[in-house]
Amino acid sequence: MSEKILELRNLTMQFGGVKALDDVSIHVNKGEICALIGPNGAGKTTVFNVVTGVYAATSGDIVFNGSSISGKKRHLITKLGLARTFQNVRLFGDMTALENVITATDVHKKSGLLGGLFGTPRSRREERESKARAHELLAFLGIDHRADQLGKNLPYGDQRRLEIARALGTEPQVLLLDEPAAGFNPAEKVALANDIKKIRDAGYTVLLIEHDMSLIMGISDRVIVLDFGKKIADDIPSKVQNDPKVIEAYLGAPADAS
Amino acid sequence: MFNLRDAGSNFWSKLNRIQRTAFVLVVVAFLFLVPYMDTFGPTSFINTPIASFRDALVYPVGMFVLMALGLNIVVGKSGLLDLGYVAFFAIGAYTGAILSTTTSLNMWEILPIGIALAMLSGFILGLPTLRLRGDYLAIVTLGFGEITRIVVLNSDFTGGTNGVPNIPPPPKVGPVVFDIMNPQNYYYLVVVMILLTIWMIRRLTIRRAGRAWEAIRQDEDVAMLMGVPTLKYKLWSFTIGAAVGGAAGVIFASKVMVIAPGMFDFQVSILILACVVFGGIGNIWGVVLGATLLAYIPERIRFLTDTRQLAFGVVLVVMMNFRPDGLLPRKKREKFTEKKKEIK
Repeated sequence: MSEKILELRNLTMQFGGVKALDDVSIHVNKGEICALIGPNGAGKTTVFNVVTGVYAATSGDIVFNGSSISGKKRHLITKLGLARTFQNVRLFGDMTALENVITATDVHKKSGLLGGLFGTPRSRREERESKARAHELLAFLGIDHRADQLGKNLPYGDQRRLEIARALGTEPQVLLLDEPAAGFNPAEKVALANDIKKIRDAGYTVLLIEHDMSLIMGISDRVIVLDFGKKIADDIPSKVQNDPKVIEAYLGAPADAS
Repeated sequence: MFNLRDAGSNFWSKLNRIQRTAFVLVVVAFLFLVPYMDTFGPTSFINTPIASFRDALVYPVGMFVLMALGLNIVVGKSGLLDLGYVAFFAIGAYTGAILSTTTSLNMWEILPIGIALAMLSGFILGLPTLRLRGDYLAIVTLGFGEITRIVVLNSDFTGGTNGVPNIPPPPKVGPVVFDIMNPQNYYYLVVVMILLTIWMIRRLTIRRAGRAWEAIRQDEDVAMLMGVPTLKYKLWSFTIGAAVGGAAGVIFASKVMVIAPGMFDFQVSILILACVVFGGIGNIWGVVLGATLLAYIPERIRFLTDTRQLAFGVVLVVMMNFRPDGLLPRKKREKFTEKKKEIK
């Protein structure tokens, strides 16, 4: 059994009378591509929001690398090694692609505002290093030729790629992708699948929310299914595909049931 | 439409090192000669009737530019709407006034104390309130500005409504004497402060702090999730802005020699904010230009007496219609490279 890098223990997230997550216990293994699927409103994005500290869970615990990260501040969680993208692209539109990524690399810098003001050698070295690293990441996703263009002026597909590059800029151990293929045509989806595999092979762990079944079944090592805030399946793709509970959640129960 | 900002940056990027040095020297020489333009024939139109031209160069022009640059860090760079900026100016001015009249410290020694106190008050105000966003922050800072003025108005140690009289001018530095007869020397002092501030802002904005502020301004939630310690950088922005306001206050007190609470009312905060917006929010050169014009125009048309404020208002409204993003809008920072043309 491989090592669990991220684990949600009995997590409940309640908004008033609605339980977006109801006693959910799931985990992500180190080095895998794990898909999180479920019908609309199942609580997938809520999982991301709770893990990255946007919401404080009502009860339960989130364990990352063996220690609890519940209640930690968002930027500290990012610093520990969890980075995400967004369902609707949320780039820094008035910054260039390169600056978007450099902003993310800043999280591990030791020199702060005063170092920058006086131009200390450490600050200047870190600036150089993060610029080089940002170009590297843009090239990794095939958009280095966009480096000097503003985020908002990039074509849609490249905006999504830039979001992934920006998240990788924080040097995460686990990368959380929220519907990265939304709005993509089939050819772009194939390219994205290859990118995600490339990211996994580069040593990152990937947790992925997606609606496109062929994409998920093609690249995931494991699939977790949520429905109405509860986990209903957690297995390898081929088994999840034939799980009657999963089929029911997506398509409804047969008419003659009961 | 002709874009002055792009024309400026194109001009600058084409210059080599020697040409740049020459250009900077020309600008410095020009700034040095400005106080003498009123008596030099061809440029004497610049003279302000009624008000003394050299005094007007210090206050309002120089002071407004300095304060607008400070406020621009807060409003323009990190997108925090501060409607009580005058409070930091008042704290600097009263620190200068009280310390120089009750202790043996001179203005040069008080300057860092005034800056430190303004920063401290910015920090204390910011720590609880910077968790608020947008309109809510604007209301709290507006309240802070008013509270500062009312405290100053009603306290004994600030002299109440009478203010603080007999503030000594700064002692001379080498041959440079600061007194009523030589207002141009105060002007030079303010110019030095402005250049220092511009240097500081430019250094900060090209590095980590500038990116953090920019990210916070554009999308604070995402900035946080990308690892930007937002509260820390918002506090920095607030305290650095306050420092500039405090420095302006100390110099102002030593120049006018008498300060009173009426000089620090809400209208000053709004005027400084107008300078920032009018010039081009977020752009240093725009803010400098905007503050210069908005401070200078009312002095230049002082002879209109009754209709002066009306004329000033008309200028503002007309300008904002023609250039809604300000005179020199925020840098768009896109490099139009060959590569881009090839793709599109």
